[in-house]
Amino acid sequence: METGRYILRRLIYAAIMMLCTSAVIFFLINSLGNPVELMLAETPGVSQETVDLISAQYGLDKPLIQRYFIWIGDLLRLDFGTSITYNLPVGGMIWSWGLHSMQIQIPAIILSVAVAICAGTWAARRQHSRQDFTVMGTVLLGQSMPAFFLGIILIYIFSFVLGWFPSYGAISTRRLLWGSALFDGLWHMVLPVAMISMFNIATLTLLVRTNMIDTLRQDFIRTARASGLKEGEIIRRHALRMVMLPVITYVGLLLGLMLGTSPVTETVFTWPGLGALYVMAIQQLDYPLIMGISIVIAVMLILMTTLTDILYALIDPRVRLE
Amino acid sequence: MTSMNDSIDPVARPARFGLFGRCLRTSMTGRVGFGLVMFVVIVAIFGPLLTPYAPKDQSAMYAVGANARPSADHWLGTDRLGYDILTQLLYGARTALVVGLGAVLISGCAGILIGGIAGYRGGWTDEVLMRFAEFFLVVPIFIIILAVVRVLSKAVTGTAFETMPYFNLTVIILMIGLFGWAPIARMTRGEFLRIKTLEFVQAARCGGQSGRQIVLSEILPNAFPSIVVLIALEIGGAILAEAMISFLGFGDPNAVSWGQMLYFNYQSLKIWPMASLAPGFMIFITVLGFNLLADGLSDAANPRARRR
Repeated sequence: METGRYILRRLIYAAIMMLCTSAVIFFLINSLGNPVELMLAETPGVSQETVDLISAQYGLDKPLIQRYFIWIGDLLRLDFGTSITYNLPVGGMIWSWGLHSMQIQIPAIILSVAVAICAGTWAARRQHSRQDFTVMGTVLLGQSMPAFFLGIILIYIFSFVLGWFPSYGAISTRRLLWGSALFDGLWHMVLPVAMISMFNIATLTLLVRTNMIDTLRQDFIRTARASGLKEGEIIRRHALRMVMLPVITYVGLLLGLMLGTSPVTETVFTWPGLGALYVMAIQQLDYPLIMGISIVIAVMLILMTTLTDILYALIDPRVRLE
Repeated sequence: MTSMNDSIDPVARPARFGLFGRCLRTSMTGRVGFGLVMFVVIVAIFGPLLTPYAPKDQSAMYAVGANARPSADHWLGTDRLGYDILTQLLYGARTALVVGLGAVLISGCAGILIGGIAGYRGGWTDEVLMRFAEFFLVVPIFIIILAVVRVLSKAVTGTAFETMPYFNLTVIILMIGLFGWAPIARMTRGEFLRIKTLEFVQAARCGGQSGRQIVLSEILPNAFPSIVVLIALEIGGAILAEAMISFLGFGDPNAVSWGQMLYFNYQSLKIWPMASLAPGFMIFITVLGFNLLADGLSDAANPRARRR
């Protein structure tokens, strides 16, 4: 009962958030000028009638408020409109480009959680030792390393100097690696995945280490030790459970943010994902595409944080009481 | 009244004036971070004296050509467009610092004001303001800033703003600042909530100080150490954000920025890596400097939390 009410409250809250975000996105972008006029701003010899005609075709002659509600209505029916530059339905484009983004983002998140849990635990068990200091130093450096600079270094070393991995794209255009689309795809994924995971590993390792150190000090761990359990067993079966709670929250945030950070990642590796599409849409001032992608990214972020909160409440009942 | 103030001051003063000193004395990361930040500041102030070239001087195209290797005239060589790389790096430090400080000036003032009001007033005001802040914490800021910067740069065609120098850069700074206040507001609110119940604030209230006096002379100085940590982090974040916006090609064409150097030179990474790696490295050490400084400051602000 209590849980049900909490979930309901979170969902209503998320819906309000989404409505506000959609308003911010719509009015910030649309109040700055008529899209058609902007697109044609540097084209000479376009008469006002032509601009009006094209505006009417895209329904831009109506007042801003009315357009907002039309847009929201369309969104609720999952109709994102038609891209101006590609003349394709925006919904379908977001789906197919988005899948390409997921192809590097999801493996990167899985990889970073796995590595961070091992490295964080390892460092926590050797607190203040030289190994711990090395891990922490690396983590600090990794957190400050701008992702795109790391990507450029990776490309320079592994692609240009060593020639091990391709520097751009999701698939070879001429000959596939070992004649297999699967291996070729994986081969192209290595560098982007490495770049995305590096930053996440740094943050997650810090999180795991801090929480592990706190947990290992608690009474139930002392009891477990006193009862003669092996240290490895204590960590695996008791401490890790506690540590996983903040990790879950952070992974939820990462899942929500993954599309939001993709423009930079995908520009570095010329990866045909949603972020690259977004950058293209902005360059071309393709309004339906800009608004469609940004609202999808925003909704995704809100949805993921909400789901994480709900999941957290189901795991840890104390949260609900707040 | 006077005696009351005397008994309060020892609490407030070390926190206000000693924070940087303690950070430098006790924390290794703080020292390294401070060093890096000072390096960038010095480069930004005196850098242009070190180079004979103007930032927009492409005359090297006639002499050594584009993507030239280092020589006596061009210590780091020239980039894809024939600019002297060292000159661009030196002038880029100015842009980076202006962006970082400008954006944080906006977000810091807004954040401290909103968070302070929320934390001090509490109740209904607090609820509304913090919901508002929470909203700014969940919108995908970077995505929105990109779109607004691009649309605005196009929307000003034919208006008075078109000729305004550094218009794009101003928009970028404003946007980063206006979207970055929420974390500072949340931190300020938390500190205000905690501090306003402490004894010395109660004492000041009993001493007859007005609400404004209490906030300005008692609560704010004590909340400041935690806020400064966040501000240092946000300066680095703002510099990084500008670098990413410029890297994607939406920067200010009139400004010399490290991100923009990357944008122009990234395609010729294979031919002349220095032109891309050098600005990337500058962004890295600047962001690292501010992050380490924040780390040191946070150690100095909460000495008890340090050895954990």
